[in-house]
Amino acid sequence: MLQLVDFVVRNRFFLVFVLLEVLSAWMIVRNNTYWGATYFNTSNYYVAKTLAFSNSVRDYTKLDEINADLASENAHLHALVAKLSQTNPSQLPAGYVPDSAFAARFSYTVAKVVDNETNKANNVITIDKGTAHGIKPGMGVISATGVVGKVRFCSEHYSVITSILHSNFMVSSKLVRSKEIGYAKWDGKDPNLIDMIDVSKYTKVFKGDSAVTSDQNSVFPPNIMVGKVQSVAVNPNQTFYNIVLKLATDFRNLSYVYVVQNHQLVEQENLKARTIELKK
Amino acid sequence: MSLREAIQYSLMILLYLFLQIFFMRNIVLFNYAFCFIYIAAILLLPADMDRMYTLLIAFAVGFIVDVFSNTFGMHASATVLIAYLRPFLIHYQMKSRGAERAEVGIRAQGLGAFVSYIFPLILIHHSMLFLMEMNNFGMILYTLIRIGASTLFTTILIILLELFSKR
Repeated sequence: MLQLVDFVVRNRFFLVFVLLEVLSAWMIVRNNTYWGATYFNTSNYYVAKTLAFSNSVRDYTKLDEINADLASENAHLHALVAKLSQTNPSQLPAGYVPDSAFAARFSYTVAKVVDNETNKANNVITIDKGTAHGIKPGMGVISATGVVGKVRFCSEHYSVITSILHSNFMVSSKLVRSKEIGYAKWDGKDPNLIDMIDVSKYTKVFKGDSAVTSDQNSVFPPNIMVGKVQSVAVNPNQTFYNIVLKLATDFRNLSYVYVVQNHQLVEQENLKARTIELKK
Repeated sequence: MSLREAIQYSLMILLYLFLQIFFMRNIVLFNYAFCFIYIAAILLLPADMDRMYTLLIAFAVGFIVDVFSNTFGMHASATVLIAYLRPFLIHYQMKSRGAERAEVGIRAQGLGAFVSYIFPLILIHHSMLFLMEMNNFGMILYTLIRIGASTLFTTILIILLELFSKR
């Protein structure tokens, strides 16, 4: 017993060192625990307030770009309204009755970016809206120019978003001209480029074609811009293209985002969960 | 350690944390070189400080940076590692120079010895941090360039700050 005490006393620095390392490793691995998700990230009220303060200085220098983005979004929305008012319902397949609840399933909340990262291997964004404004983890986030990410943690007044520039984030997207569906996924290097995977190489892919969110997406509304095809390469051993997209959103200048709430998401997910249960 | 010194060093730690959180997190040169200036707070602690305190301070400092950058313990583990290795390096340097008192700082040690003290520790810290952050092995070359560039950047900034600080 005395020897054990002696050992502990002699090696106490090493033991404390190992203890602290294990503690931090545990925090990294279990980063979704209640404590980690609630207090120890930038959705913490005081942390976010501090960051908001430091960000407010930079915001003034970006006003020009924000204005330009909003103006172009306005133009886009005007075009959309004009198009919608001209569409006649006869284009829909016979017998299909559009469900008004389905069409109105998305609602939007405007939020301001408090803290923004683009240079790390896994980037997150902090915004100034939280559970008090009806935001919940899992909701999609878009900006005036395109897809941004998905809500990960929420506190009462702030939320942390997994940006599309994050290694565990994929967006189901569709190429507009070739109508092919694939996944957009970041490779961790350049914050302006994103890879599109799982696009079959037996279709034609055009350079400069737009990639938008597909209809198969439950988080994002369809037809939100992801990026434009910058380069297409074929690996002879594979049946898929290596497509590189230029991101539509400039993440360095992100200032205002919209949090998308899909009112029917729970219903949709429950249905899916039931199929999984049946398989078991 | 006297009370005056304790206050002085606490202020130093706070200053470096402030610098890191408000300024350095936004500065990235050429998308490669990051600056983690806050580790200077650990490197410049007095050499004869109790090792237990150094470890605990390193953990606290790393953890605060973690909270502000959503990294959950990556900075904490890297900082604790260098805090643990620091006394060995100081001891080794003291022996090889034949000095009887261990001191840290550009004035006490001279530029050459100071660089050979901070550079390996910064390299270890940055390597650990970036390798932990790496998602897949395909990014290894890219990560190595980042480690090299960031180590140089942080080292140069710490030396500059040391040169201009009066103590």
